[in-house]
Amino acid sequence: MSRLRGVLTFVVVMLGGDAMPWGARGVAAEPTRAEEAAFLAAVSQVAAAVVRLEPVAGAAVAGAAGEEAGVASGPSTGLVIDPAGLVLATSFAVPDTAREAVVVLPDGRRVAAKPVGRDVPRGIVLLKTEPIPTAPPVEPALRRSLLPGQWTIAVGRGWSAAEPSVAVGILSAVDRGWGLAVQTDAAVSPMNYGGPLIDIAGRVIGIVAPLPAEPAQMMRGTELYDAGIGFAVPLEDLLAVLPRLAAGESLAGGILGIGYRSRDAINGDPVIASVRQGSPAARAGLRPGDRIVAVDGRPVRRVADARHAVAPRHAGDEIAVEVDRRRGGETIRIAARPTLAATLPPWRRAILGVVVAAGDERDADAPARIDWVLPGGPADRAGIAAGGIVASIAPLGDAQPADTQPGADAVEAPSSSALAGVVAGLEPGQSVRIGVRRGDEFTTTDMTLGEMIQDAPDEPPPPRAAAVPGGGADAVRVSRLGGADVTLPPLVVIPPGRGPVPVLIWFGVPHGAADEAEAAPWKAAAAAAGVAVILPGSRERREWSGDDIGGVARALESLNALRPVDATRVAVGGRGPGGVFAWLLAERLGTGCRGVAVLDAPLPARFTIADAEPGTAKWMLLGGGGDDAAARRRATDRDRLARAGHAVGTLTEAADGGPPTALLCRWAAALGLL
Amino acid sequence: MIRFREAVIVALLAVRIGNAADEPSPQFVAATAARSVVKIYGAGGLRGLEAYQSGIILSPDGRIATAMSTVLDSEGIDCVLDDGRRFEATLVGVDPRRELAVLSIDATDLPAAVPAEGRAAAGTRVLAVSNLFGVAVGDERASVQRGVIATVVPLEARRGAADAPYTGTVYVFDFTTNNPGSPGGAVVDSRGRLLGMIGKELRSSAGGIWLNYALPIDEVLAGCEAIVAGGGTTATAAAAPPFDLKLLGIVFVPDLLDRTPPFVEAVLPGSAATRAGLASDDLLIAVGGRAVGSRAAVERAVGAIPAGDPVRLSVIRAGTVVDCDLGPRPAAVDRIAPQESVP
Repeated sequence: MSRLRGVLTFVVVMLGGDAMPWGARGVAAEPTRAEEAAFLAAVSQVAAAVVRLEPVAGAAVAGAAGEEAGVASGPSTGLVIDPAGLVLATSFAVPDTAREAVVVLPDGRRVAAKPVGRDVPRGIVLLKTEPIPTAPPVEPALRRSLLPGQWTIAVGRGWSAAEPSVAVGILSAVDRGWGLAVQTDAAVSPMNYGGPLIDIAGRVIGIVAPLPAEPAQMMRGTELYDAGIGFAVPLEDLLAVLPRLAAGESLAGGILGIGYRSRDAINGDPVIASVRQGSPAARAGLRPGDRIVAVDGRPVRRVADARHAVAPRHAGDEIAVEVDRRRGGETIRIAARPTLAATLPPWRRAILGVVVAAGDERDADAPARIDWVLPGGPADRAGIAAGGIVASIAPLGDAQPADTQPGADAVEAPSSSALAGVVAGLEPGQSVRIGVRRGDEFTTTDMTLGEMIQDAPDEPPPPRAAAVPGGGADAVRVSRLGGADVTLPPLVVIPPGRGPVPVLIWFGVPHGAADEAEAAPWKAAAAAAGVAVILPGSRERREWSGDDIGGVARALESLNALRPVDATRVAVGGRGPGGVFAWLLAERLGTGCRGVAVLDAPLPARFTIADAEPGTAKWMLLGGGGDDAAARRRATDRDRLARAGHAVGTLTEAADGGPPTALLCRWAAALGLL
Repeated sequence: MIRFREAVIVALLAVRIGNAADEPSPQFVAATAARSVVKIYGAGGLRGLEAYQSGIILSPDGRIATAMSTVLDSEGIDCVLDDGRRFEATLVGVDPRRELAVLSIDATDLPAAVPAEGRAAAGTRVLAVSNLFGVAVGDERASVQRGVIATVVPLEARRGAADAPYTGTVYVFDFTTNNPGSPGGAVVDSRGRLLGMIGKELRSSAGGIWLNYALPIDEVLAGCEAIVAGGGTTATAAAAPPFDLKLLGIVFVPDLLDRTPPFVEAVLPGSAATRAGLASDDLLIAVGGRAVGSRAAVERAVGAIPAGDPVRLSVIRAGTVVDCDLGPRPAAVDRIAPQESVP
């Protein structure tokens, strides 16, 4: 019955029921036809400027390997930007390794083209080929006129050199990849990368491309072609750099060289925590503590605003940065004009020669207290003693703006992490004015930062337990970490006292669960240096295995529940197979591990050493016996680590052949050396 | 009674659709197109293959076009019409080249699709109607999607490692028409006329991407007529064997990789290649105007040229594209003597 009713309704519609919901008459049809005509008219405006690009075999990594590397293995598209023979295409179709490309002109002729310039962050290449007088001039759609929801049409010739392909969609977003691209839901694929994305009037919005990203991630976005997600690099941005590309320049992304105090990379306050030494920011006089208020005239209220303003710029571009700086109780506005760089010079670790108390959660912002001064170090030579509070620190010297008094731009009452940020931006040999408060007494000292030391200091920084009566080996606790569900609870040696504690994880000879006797040689050393020592058990009887890594991570968590862990002083170490395992664990822990100490354990094959940067730089100790070959191997490892900018010292066996517990604990306690 | 009414409606529809001055709305076109699409259920389920696809009613007396697939390898093939009626279908025959099959059901007065005349161009708005992903259950209507024709090109595609047998023209779309269950579905233009039948899932052998395409209606009709007339299968055209370019005097670098770049290693004296001016280190980029990316592709492309027809090669040399005419293609010999040494 219901079907019959439906049929009757249908008949009514057929007989001219305009008011019926199906709308049989052309109310909705007319816009549809008008749009179809408009799509075709828009395409016809640019079609003669769209050319086919064919891969040149041998120029790129071919086949499946090429697809993995993010380079095209099939035909693609280009846009003639100048009839004199300039064609825009993507680095996906014409990778860095390609010396030439083949362009198929609309008349079917094949001509060779040479890459002349690149916009590296946008993944766009400019090709030069013979004049293409038939190509019409292209008109860019202005970025500020773009609105999500408007029609977009992707035009390509990857399918056919004779006829352009058409994909219709809307603009999905105007800001992608930190402002490098716009997004569309028109179906785009590697076949029309390099072709124009046009608006309904035939103006070119941009060049269809994978989502711009680091060169290593050039593939990012190419797998999205059938997911309704496509990207285009705005033509307006490319026209701005076209003369430089045509002149043969390869434009790299621009680096400023600052870190922010906030961990929130979006809504955080744009207050500079660190200025990388030798960076454009450092050369322009930006300082830790400065609050960025504008970049290139665009107001900056949060970290994301600054990133949006800097990300689209290239190395070599000068940008205008305005910052607010506290000086003498007032806030002043300072204008800096850094010139962005493509790369930064290798970081050289400079030290004051002090260890400051790591703030725990309660007093993370408390001013840094000098716990210990490295004997013979820069601070010691300048007469700074332990026990004071760092009241101010100000760099002196060349980078000082000419209109200020020496030491005027001080960071006041820095926390331990803020002090680390300031020191990370300074180079060995650079001078600072440091103010230290000790009770009511305030002294100002000028000192010069020194090179990072390589070997462990001869005496340890004092443990936090120093003030606890009855400290010493007897007050050390030995516990097993983890609950009943942990099959191999590691042993942990915990020094007396409270507050954040440095941690050393030591892998000895694997033999199953760690036994209490192993803990004995560590007790005195742990108490003297105030270091917690974790002695994991091995799941396998005779070797350390990947299963043991998870146990270590859980052990750190369990220890943190008993006693807070000082994240800036976590070290791993071991002997023989345990040492090799320590290298792997250090790689896994990443920035969570600041030191590696091994005996008779060469760097594992294919071990990747990241270049030292503030926050990631490690302090290594290498040692052991063996024949000449082993010693040569150690020397090679030492060179590799030192070249990457890490501190590398020597680890000497204890007299009884056991692990050098005192040396290791001294070193672990000094890992936070500033 | 219902069938009679439907026949009346179909007749009325045909009148309206034929009236170009009075355009039907997209909603109307979608509903009309969906009435000609059937859901087909058969064999499958093994190795993740679907047991369902789509079909198009071609005649009021029960001829249904669909894609040739494993779904049809079944004792009982069920067709569910738009109105929910279920029929057991018989397989009339298949066209392996077009990967097309014709089914027949015992029914009359069915709402057959109205074919378009001629080919549509890139940019034309279309609707696709199919049993995609089997989401239309019971008597639910097939799914309708919209988009435009992206391009009209010869099909160069592969399924796994094998080339697709059909190499004629197809419509390629700018939206995802070719989903599981879609093969056999209808693509219609903005007036509801049937432009083509959605094909099986294929990857482009040129770009490596998944294809959204349909076999044009003239190919569908030609294939169906042949099946009905012959009642059986048509043989797959055998692919031409690769041609050994040494017969033209070209010696390539050894073919070590899947995609060895077609660099000319040497040119045999007195050969067609020498006369055409080819030289060692030339890199072949096209045969007869079609791009070739590997030595194997060159051999296949020259193999596809009939013996006696001209062989035109494009090479890239010192940054310039040079076209070389090597004259008529010699007849292939079965095999080059393996002992023959390379100069």
